[in-house]
Amino acid sequence: MTTITRRSFLKNAGGAGVALWLGLYVHGEVGKTTSPVTAAHFTPWILIESGGKITIYNTKPEIGQGTFQAIPALIAEELEVSLDQVTILNSNGEKELGTAQRAGGSASVRTSFSDLRKVGASAKEVLIQAAASTWGVDAATCYAENATVYHRASGKSIAYGDLVETAAKIELPKTPVLKDGKDFKIIGKSMRRPDVPLKTNGSAVFGIDVKVDGMRYASVERCPVIGGTLKQFDASAALKIKGVVTVVPVERVYGIHRNTGVAVIADNYWAALQGRKKLRVEWDTKGFEHFQSDEYEAGLRLMVSQEGLTDKNKGDIDALTIAPENLVEAFYETPMVAHHPMEPLNCIAQVKDDQVELWTSTQVPSNVTGSGPNDLHKLIGVAPENIKLHATFVGGGFGRRLYLDFIVEAVNIAKQVNYPVKVIWTREDTTEQGPFRPMTFSQLQGGFSAEGKLVTFRHKVISPSYAESVGRNFDPNKVDGTMVEGIAEQAYEIPNIRTAYVRAGYHVPVAAWRSVTSSTVAFAQECFLDELAWKAGMDPMSFRLSLLSAPSDTKRVLLTLKEVSGWDRPLPKGSGRGVATWEFFAGLCGQTVEVTHLSDGRIRIDKVVAVIDLGEVVNPDNVRNQTEGAIIMALGAAVKPDIRLKHGKVTHHNFYDNLLPRISETPLIDVHILAEGGKVKGVGEPGLPPFAPALANAIFAATGKRNRKMPFDLHV
Amino acid sequence: MPVNHNLPVRTFSVVTGLFGLFALLSFSIRKGHIEQDAPTGHDSLMIVKDSAASVKAFLEVYNVLMSPRCMNCHPSGDVPLQGDDNHLHTMLPQRGKDGKGVYAMKCANCHQPTNTPGEHTPPGNPNWHLPPADMKMVFQGKTPHELAKQIMDPAQNGNKTPQQLLEHAHDGLVVAAWNPGEGRTLPPMTHDAFVKAWTTWLKTGGFAPQANP
Amino acid sequence: MIRLTVNQKTHKVDVDPDMPLLWVIRDIIGLTGTKYGCGVAQCGACVVHLNGEAVRSCVTKVSRAANQKIVTIEGLSLHNDHPLQQAWAEIDVPQCGYCQSGQLMSAAVLLKENPQPDDAAIDAAMSGNLCRCGTYPRIRKAIHRAAELQQEAGKKPF
Repeated sequence: MTTITRRSFLKNAGGAGVALWLGLYVHGEVGKTTSPVTAAHFTPWILIESGGKITIYNTKPEIGQGTFQAIPALIAEELEVSLDQVTILNSNGEKELGTAQRAGGSASVRTSFSDLRKVGASAKEVLIQAAASTWGVDAATCYAENATVYHRASGKSIAYGDLVETAAKIELPKTPVLKDGKDFKIIGKSMRRPDVPLKTNGSAVFGIDVKVDGMRYASVERCPVIGGTLKQFDASAALKIKGVVTVVPVERVYGIHRNTGVAVIADNYWAALQGRKKLRVEWDTKGFEHFQSDEYEAGLRLMVSQEGLTDKNKGDIDALTIAPENLVEAFYETPMVAHHPMEPLNCIAQVKDDQVELWTSTQVPSNVTGSGPNDLHKLIGVAPENIKLHATFVGGGFGRRLYLDFIVEAVNIAKQVNYPVKVIWTREDTTEQGPFRPMTFSQLQGGFSAEGKLVTFRHKVISPSYAESVGRNFDPNKVDGTMVEGIAEQAYEIPNIRTAYVRAGYHVPVAAWRSVTSSTVAFAQECFLDELAWKAGMDPMSFRLSLLSAPSDTKRVLLTLKEVSGWDRPLPKGSGRGVATWEFFAGLCGQTVEVTHLSDGRIRIDKVVAVIDLGEVVNPDNVRNQTEGAIIMALGAAVKPDIRLKHGKVTHHNFYDNLLPRISETPLIDVHILAEGGKVKGVGEPGLPPFAPALANAIFAATGKRNRKMPFDLHV
Repeated sequence: MPVNHNLPVRTFSVVTGLFGLFALLSFSIRKGHIEQDAPTGHDSLMIVKDSAASVKAFLEVYNVLMSPRCMNCHPSGDVPLQGDDNHLHTMLPQRGKDGKGVYAMKCANCHQPTNTPGEHTPPGNPNWHLPPADMKMVFQGKTPHELAKQIMDPAQNGNKTPQQLLEHAHDGLVVAAWNPGEGRTLPPMTHDAFVKAWTTWLKTGGFAPQANP
Repeated sequence: MIRLTVNQKTHKVDVDPDMPLLWVIRDIIGLTGTKYGCGVAQCGACVVHLNGEAVRSCVTKVSRAANQKIVTIEGLSLHNDHPLQQAWAEIDVPQCGYCQSGQLMSAAVLLKENPQPDDAAIDAAMSGNLCRCGTYPRIRKAIHRAAELQQEAGKKPF
């Protein structure tokens, strides 16, 4: 097992011999200590023990995105150790390891790239100095390799472990010298990930796999009408099921949404499920039983007439008069979708007096144990220092495990009993209860000058508000920035741009879903750009490039894409090629899709080419893996059934109706990485937004059919 | 039971075109007017030809065979169907040579000897399978005429004699259509009514409705 | 008491005979490499070998497995060195890894019955296993690689 408990963390710090911790102070300065527990505002990343053991902490939960290799790689590169020589430990939200123990926003590597290298480099320099002073030589005549310091002239060497005591007394360099990229041994190389072998023989431990002494299992019946809550229940039949121990009401809290369900606790999970089927529950559905997605969406369409709140206003769009024949308008619609990490939501909670102990798969250890205003302690009424977390490998996040609702629920059950309880959501629970990615509807308008130049661009997003749903930074008089993500910030040189937001109230909980709102608004905007290209009578790639005269990352991506995709190579009749690109907080990726319209009407996806722009790349093969996966996830959101409600209930339940792509549907994917310096960008999400628009644009090129609504049919 | 040796051919010739007549004659010549297989199983076959009654019975049989509970495992392709809309089975399991699936996707890997409790769970039968690859017994897309001819043709029905066909109505997998698992619609008539129509059809000569009504 | 042989070890379990094999393996016997994903035989995360067949343990009653031979991911090989496990590591297949036990157990039946599978055979064998991370292109590549490794191993002692 590769996670550490707090106990072992403390034990390490106070163990025999000398333990040297190296890390970062909150303001970014590198520091070291032999007692990290007492050092405030200090994040230790490396532990070197006098016995020679080297430990690197991975504080970015491994949710499949590769941090278990990529984060230690940044340190190991500069420290001059190989990953085989170190122990990598996932962190558990320990206060000592800082407040940034979270995986989200494709942020792990891009926000750590220089800082963590600095930590490694400082550690290496202090170890070299320790060796130099031991030998009485100039540090400049020594070098480090393979966790050992060498004296160049004599060939003498001392292992890191034997330098700890001396190094502890030497001041850290303020500005360590970082390695030149051409000398990298780990960064930029396709390395095997150390978690992979654990994931091929069943030994990787996910939250759902943890067993705690005396633990019982729970399954929770929640109101099938979203927004409804418990009125009363009769558990007598449930309690007759062999193995069922007790039945308790339990509140789940997600942002502004609070609902009470009924938890069946049993000796094993199967019995809990059987008991749950025997519950008789009366729900207070509060009128939400009349809610219909069709009607709600009709309402969103009507709201297009509202001016909304202005997001960005570039140039002077109102001063221009565009001839009606030079205006293009379109309306795009995208749906709600579910996250569906393969590991169902789960959490073990144990409450003893005022102490809470948790074992779970989470993207946000720091929000579980932290003392911030949105952290768990606020939701369960327990002091943050009394919350203990054991984090595990995470069987998929995709945004769903950024939230604490399933942990709150587990704690609320555990508060009512005197043993640890493992709550596991069924697949139906996750499909039917949300939160979901919110739908966005988009009104778009583009205007050409008499000379045929695109001079005006408007994009109005009509949607529920993420901020309102999660109850964070919500102000009805301000644009919810999440819902207009990236729409005014593309690199295209359009002199007059106005973007706006119309908020629609919504009682269904909504959430960030891998690549957040870029996964929907990019579909609208990049398909619309294609419409503008056709209006201008230009090839969609040339049209985009005509809007990119100045050097930009987007221009570089498109030029590369044009070349590697063979954009100018003619396709046979019935085939078509589409392009899309998207830059947003997480990063930048462009894609082309080639499709063929088959004689039976089906659309076959022949090939996807992606160019992802990273600035710097840590593990190219992992980047390819991530981008392939993002494209396949985007394929599901583009063509598979969405989440809809009828009479207040989600109409889909499990993978038989809420379908995901399967291996037989997977197209050929070719990923190209640009790592040419500059801003370091993210990996996990950028592969997602361009796919649906590139696919829809390819279908248009092949068939003349314009899809303005997701999901769309791969049948024309 | 009244026995009428003359009625079938004449009546049929009145209502069908020349093609139907020819088909029927060739059948009659091959099988003779009355056949009796060795009495085994539920019922023994005493054929008393009556094309009108036979065709009428088959049309009832046809409605059952074309219902999702029967047709879904007699697809025109090599992937079974699911649901009342006869969509391709999720995850596209393949027929395989013996009709029992392939590799990691054999029918019995999910379909248990009995129905799995709950809606949308795999229905069960100890012998769950599709017709084998060399005898696909396709129902999907077949007209009443085509399906009746196919069922009567030993080269297309798994080498079944009329007597074996008669007994097939009580085959475990056929009967499973009437115990399809929670939430699934039943065939359009009871199993008893089906057996009656099936038996009538066979006992009156196994006539096919006309090809082009 | 139901007697099960899991990875060549015999277990006697006192459970409801209707309890799915999945929960017996995970919660009673304590082998957690076999995963729960959907509970209705849709995702393949729970695949184990029952007498060599890739059954979905979430819908397989434990009574069906009584006195039968079960192999879970923990028993696929002794040293994580089944050709598929080697290929999975070489191609760096997993992302989150949660579905991979089921993927490997399905692929093992494929390779056993078709040592040189083409893409169509891989589709036919593996379409019952969902991967939300989208590692399908690598699963395909790794199965081809494992077929090579298996063949090479056939020539010399593995």
